[in-house]
Amino acid sequence: MPDQPDAIATDAIGKSFGATRALDGVTISFRGGEVHGIVGENGAGKSTLMKILGGVERPGEGRVFIRGRGVLITDVHAAQRMGIAMVHQELNLVDELSIAENIFLGRERTLLGMVRFGRARRVSRQILEILKCPLNVSWKVKRLSTAQKQMVEIAKALSCQASVIILDEPTAMLSRRETHALFEVIGQLRRNGVAVIYISHILQEVLQIRDRVTVMRDGRVSARLGPDEMEGMTVAELAGLMVGRPMNQHFPARETRIGERFLEVEHFGDEDISFFVRRGEILGFAGLIGAGRTELAEAIFGLRGKVSGVIRLDGRNLKISSPGDAVRAGIAYLSEDRKESGLMLDMDVTSNTTMVSLARYTRWLTRPRAERKAASHYVQLMRIRIASLRQPVRALSGGNQQKVALAKWLETNPKVLIVDEPTRGVDVGAKEEIYRLIRALVTQGMACILISSELNEVLGMSDRIAVMRGGRIVAMLDAASASEERVMQFAAGVQENLSA
Amino acid sequence: MSEGSVQSARNWRAVFERVAPVVTLALLVFVTASLEHAPAGEHHFLTAENLVNILWQWSAIGIIALGMTLVIISGGIDLSVGSLIALSGALGVWMMNTIISAGAILQGIDDSNASGMAPADGPVRAWMAHFVINHHLDGNEVWGVAVGIATILAVGTAAGWVNGMLIAKGGIAPFIVTLGGLAAYRSLALALADGGDLNSASEHLFPAAGNAGVPIHRLTLTNGHPLQLPYMVIAFFALAVLMAILLNRTRYGRYVVALGSNERAAKYSAINVDRIKIITYTLTGALTGIAAFLVASNLNSVPSSTAGNLYELDVIAAVVIGGTRMQGGAGSIFGTVIGVLILGVISNMLSFLNVSPYLQGLVKGVIIVAAIFVQQIGRKRS
Repeated sequence: MPDQPDAIATDAIGKSFGATRALDGVTISFRGGEVHGIVGENGAGKSTLMKILGGVERPGEGRVFIRGRGVLITDVHAAQRMGIAMVHQELNLVDELSIAENIFLGRERTLLGMVRFGRARRVSRQILEILKCPLNVSWKVKRLSTAQKQMVEIAKALSCQASVIILDEPTAMLSRRETHALFEVIGQLRRNGVAVIYISHILQEVLQIRDRVTVMRDGRVSARLGPDEMEGMTVAELAGLMVGRPMNQHFPARETRIGERFLEVEHFGDEDISFFVRRGEILGFAGLIGAGRTELAEAIFGLRGKVSGVIRLDGRNLKISSPGDAVRAGIAYLSEDRKESGLMLDMDVTSNTTMVSLARYTRWLTRPRAERKAASHYVQLMRIRIASLRQPVRALSGGNQQKVALAKWLETNPKVLIVDEPTRGVDVGAKEEIYRLIRALVTQGMACILISSELNEVLGMSDRIAVMRGGRIVAMLDAASASEERVMQFAAGVQENLSA
Repeated sequence: MSEGSVQSARNWRAVFERVAPVVTLALLVFVTASLEHAPAGEHHFLTAENLVNILWQWSAIGIIALGMTLVIISGGIDLSVGSLIALSGALGVWMMNTIISAGAILQGIDDSNASGMAPADGPVRAWMAHFVINHHLDGNEVWGVAVGIATILAVGTAAGWVNGMLIAKGGIAPFIVTLGGLAAYRSLALALADGGDLNSASEHLFPAAGNAGVPIHRLTLTNGHPLQLPYMVIAFFALAVLMAILLNRTRYGRYVVALGSNERAAKYSAINVDRIKIITYTLTGALTGIAAFLVASNLNSVPSSTAGNLYELDVIAAVVIGGTRMQGGAGSIFGTVIGVLILGVISNMLSFLNVSPYLQGLVKGVIIVAAIFVQQIGRKRS
């Protein structure tokens, strides 16, 4: 269909969250009757862009065009009215309602104010048949498996008769058969002139069904691949395009003398994970979202109760069944989401800093002066910018909040520090501050586990890198010889298992 | 907004939350005093006697409210306190009477067995009465009162512990657990007293705590006797000081605030969240036990259907009026004390303004909603 305006297009879209630049000047056009794949690392801005198209987020700058006309997508309903349907990564179904009710939720057809359930059920049944997913549409959604729920989400998008359908990681939870059915439906949609936007970490899939692919990196479009460029392209080449950026971060030099094995984890958990970290070493954990890195860290920290296997620290076996056990053993865990699980936002800087180590500042009663002294020590050491120690941490910027969260753990004088996404949503200055501090502590003989979705961070900071996929460690690489491409190949499952 | 102005806004909010209850109380006292049309020297409200009376009437509510403050700061709620007053008081007096009048009780059980109207608690009580008589404790008032008080405190504490266990280990919502307690504890008290009053068999010793006080010789009443500062009031203020220290200066207190502020982060900070919850509800149960003892002592009786009835409403109202955040994470004991005083002054004012007792609930309701509303305005401004 030449000369027809694009089904939907963006022009120089930008979006910032606090100090983080999530999108910067993104211009992409999506044509009707094409499947357009979008790939990129975690945090490259794919999801933010789709949220803007789906009306979940408003763009900071730039414009969106639908069939050549500039539009303002104010909310999800506006997006639906404009014919944009989105299948979310997270499931957005109401457990207590039936499949049919979910599919037509918010768009119920009524007759004299009464919902026409008969019609809703009939149409829902037809759509699910097309998807080769014959479910009883009167069932409550809570009875369904995760994969089945995913299919209902897709059916919901199809029922809108949308001209643009956004699929965000649709196959992550689907079986092979269901994936195949979904691909057939996508083919059908394409023939009907629908613009399909397909986001996936599974590069093989993207190469299989794409008409064209846009690669995103650091909030920008880094490559546009049309049908011609994609002829004969391999997964490895596509993975290379996703990373391969110049190092734009300054990491403190490795100068550590790495000591003997310090933390040893053996036959741990259902996936039988084994690894070790040496004194003075930073072991990086790379992998895609959902690869099981956070789950592993939480299990070591005792947040998942008793787990099978052995954890040895400095030669002694540890019994860890709660975070308290882990802290007493000398393990600290900086969790990945400081707002959800890291900080008490309404409590002040001092209380947050001494939250875990409060026993040290208590005889019979707490000693506020000693606590404040400890807190101000960290404020100086980490250059935390605050107006007062009594300031609630909610009032601080993301970077300063993260520093307080880290200070809380350094206060416990840990032997092993596990940091999970330590620089997420943190500005560049604070990032370097955090890197410098971690490196300094490791130099003093601590062992560190660094979980990060930013590849250059893992490569820049770690001494060795463990790559995880599907809950297992699939590769153990020496950081000196590792490259972003190589890590990505293991993470995405291009290379098969290799253990050092 | 620059960081500086954010900071000053936060401070303003903290000051507002702290000062609002005090200002409200001052205004109420002023309004009440000026509403009273009495010739000089004959006014009633602003007399030491009346103020002490207000405190006296509200000290039981106040003592429970101290515990409720911690419960609400921790992000929970306890609806069972009113019924627990009845249950722990009834069980305590029941135990006390069994010792003080064991012989008479045995006689009574025999009589009713003979007439075929055996009381439900007959066998247990008969066994206990025999035990008391065998150990020559029959009629021993000191022993009876001691065991009675210990029972009241123990029952209150144990019931609080059960609430805490169900909430922490059972994972049931506090509202549901304590709603169950509200129904169950009252029902047990009613069953024990057969729906009526359990009158204490101790004539002087047991009622002393709830009725006597420390004489203040400087203040003489119209009848020539010195003003008595009741033990109940002293207990309230002493416990308030202890609870304020517990909340502000102990690890436990800090963890309560942390728990209410962000439970997940508390867990990730290696705080034993379950233990904090159990301690908090147990503590509230223990304080309810103390209040139950004072209430039972004051009346020298436990009316099973009315003792502590609807106390939970006044207690929660006092805490909220005192500025403690209903969602948890912030609050103060000082505020709660002020909240209790505000409620006391209001009900005192209403009664001597001859407002129908039926309408007093309306006024209380309006005040509670207004207090929350004002808190929210303070929050939005910042």
